[in-house]
Amino acid sequence: MSGSGLIQTQRLEVSLGPQHPSTHGVFRMDVVLDGEYVVKLKPVMGYLHRNHEQIAEKLTWLGSMPYTDRLDYFCSMTNNWAYALAVEKLAGLKVPERAEYIRVIMAELTRLLNHSCAIGFLLSDCGAWFTPVLYALRERERILDFFETVSGARMMCNYMRFGGVRVDLDETALAMARRLVARWPSFLDEFEKLITGNEVLLARMQRVGILPRELAINASISGPMARASGVAYDVRKVDKYGVYDRFEFRVPVGETGDTYDRYMIRILEMRESVKILQQALRDIPGGPVIAPEARLRGFKVPAGDGYARIEAPKGELGFYLVSEGGTKPYRYHVRPPSFINLTVLEDMCLGHKIADAIIILGSVDIVLGEVDR
Amino acid sequence: MNGFPGKGLLEGLAVTAKNFIGSYFDDNRKERLFTYQYPEERMPLPENSRTFPFLVYDGTPDQLRCTACKVCETECPPQCIYIVRDSDPNGKPLQRPKVFDIDISVCMQCGICAEVCPFDAIKMDCDFERSQHGRFEELVAHLPSLLKSNDYYHHIKPTEADRVDATRKRVKKPSPAAAAPAPTPGPAVAAVLSPTPLKPMSPPADILTEDEKRAWLKGYQSILGTGPIVWPLTTKKIATTPQPPTPAPAAAAVATPPASSLAGGEPWHDSGLDLAKRMELAKDRSLADRLMAAMAQLDCQACGYDCRGYANALAAGVTRDVTLCAPGEDETKNTLETLLKEAGKL
Repeated sequence: MSGSGLIQTQRLEVSLGPQHPSTHGVFRMDVVLDGEYVVKLKPVMGYLHRNHEQIAEKLTWLGSMPYTDRLDYFCSMTNNWAYALAVEKLAGLKVPERAEYIRVIMAELTRLLNHSCAIGFLLSDCGAWFTPVLYALRERERILDFFETVSGARMMCNYMRFGGVRVDLDETALAMARRLVARWPSFLDEFEKLITGNEVLLARMQRVGILPRELAINASISGPMARASGVAYDVRKVDKYGVYDRFEFRVPVGETGDTYDRYMIRILEMRESVKILQQALRDIPGGPVIAPEARLRGFKVPAGDGYARIEAPKGELGFYLVSEGGTKPYRYHVRPPSFINLTVLEDMCLGHKIADAIIILGSVDIVLGEVDR
Repeated sequence: MNGFPGKGLLEGLAVTAKNFIGSYFDDNRKERLFTYQYPEERMPLPENSRTFPFLVYDGTPDQLRCTACKVCETECPPQCIYIVRDSDPNGKPLQRPKVFDIDISVCMQCGICAEVCPFDAIKMDCDFERSQHGRFEELVAHLPSLLKSNDYYHHIKPTEADRVDATRKRVKKPSPAAAAPAPTPGPAVAAVLSPTPLKPMSPPADILTEDEKRAWLKGYQSILGTGPIVWPLTTKKIATTPQPPTPAPAAAAVATPPASSLAGGEPWHDSGLDLAKRMELAKDRSLADRLMAAMAQLDCQACGYDCRGYANALAAGVTRDVTLCAPGEDETKNTLETLLKEAGKL
């Protein structure tokens, strides 16, 4: 009960979703409101559950690769990489240098397209109706064209293989990638001019949905969300998987951990990704793109278990695999970043207005394909 | 905040205005407009682009590359392929499919079937206009509709097809079928082989009215089609003249290590023979030979080896898994199990 006592009020329960345009997919929030203020929020997930892990335990090792595309369907390349990395760790496969560079190029391009769309949709949630997201989708389209040229599919790339990648990048493809990277900074400048200094945006985003540093660490939040809260943690720097130790780039870290920081972190990360891409495209060596001992048919992984993780655009994406030495995994588990990042949604939304809950959810950057698996 | 209040807002509006007006007048118009007026205007597809699988044949449709080895059926992640091997009237299995169905409502276009195929028989098409009115029967592609010529493959993916042809030429063993004069192609096949471009990307320039465009689109699929192909085609005769096996001394056969037992040839290495016949040919041979005879003789590598390699691996105890021979199905599995049990290795 609130109010001065003159007016009798009561709390209102609102079921937001699962078909609400601002829930970024089939996701529901059970919100309890006091007036306009959120006093309780329960995320309800599972509408898109497809039994991904159980299916993978019935398939061959290779057979799960196209299914990983469908986890976070914005970032199929990084999903492929995380899974391939876990299997390579178990099987002891060494990846040729050129393939490692190609993987970095693909992963960083994925980061560009994911972040540009994430902030585009976040701005849509704020009320900047579709202009920013349309600009973001326009640029994403060029990257998808590149992915299609190389891998054959725009979104469901199915590109990485155990011990390398499926198709080599020829000179035309490399030139295409260089063109993409060259025009990205000017797109970012235009995008920032469009919206970053916008007074309405600042009023909507700053000091909204603060995620304290301690909570971010305790809830094992990862990716741009954790870094916006001031946790300087990036798996690319910590693990140095692939050839990430060879590139010079910085990890942007936020101060307050509010929605605006989460927006800004993504812009800054894109600028760093461009730097990585420029170095990778400059230094890419020649040679094979798949290890000679890699095989497609009847591929077996020695018995054992292993966990491999990468810095996916949304955070730490990990695969935990148990092998019995056969042609299929005994246990297959995914550590999805958006699912774990979503667990602090209530903590961020409490005390804010219902309209702010929408943009806080937008700033988490979830993809339900990965949350529900 | 720098500048006067509202500066950020005005700057943003300037960007929007620039993009809006620029999309009409700018020199970089193509940069700003990335959409195509489909279906009148078509985006050129990259060569690697893939949609649904098709089966390649060389020359005429009965020269199918597919041997019904079922590797793709086993590996297909969503399990949308269904294959039944063909057999001649006497029940002898043939190296080609009788039924080859792909449920394209289940297919997720991953291209793994094309990747794992040991015979380059299944490849990925780039035709995406496959919508149908029905939800069930119409979306199951049967063998006749899956057949496409090698020329079609060359048309849609020139680089990849050239590479495949080069490897096939290198690997291919001379066979009597290849030496025979190619049969004259029927009208349906001739249509496929005709040099008319199979898939123009946009309608011809002289089509102007909306009705003409519709008519052009209606006839669009027919340019593509291979025409009706009736299946099954004429039964190809496979000459099988098995040589009588040279009997090896039984005691020596048991003692011989598996790899060195090649003397006497491998008369059972002919997938046209049925299992009982193959086992009889290998009756007095070493364990590895008998194991090999139990396999489907396709060297399809579904198990990760060729037939000889898998037999040797089983005989030497490198692997104990008898379920790996996909084309051999249950009869191979059961025979392998029996043989290994007899030898006391299981």
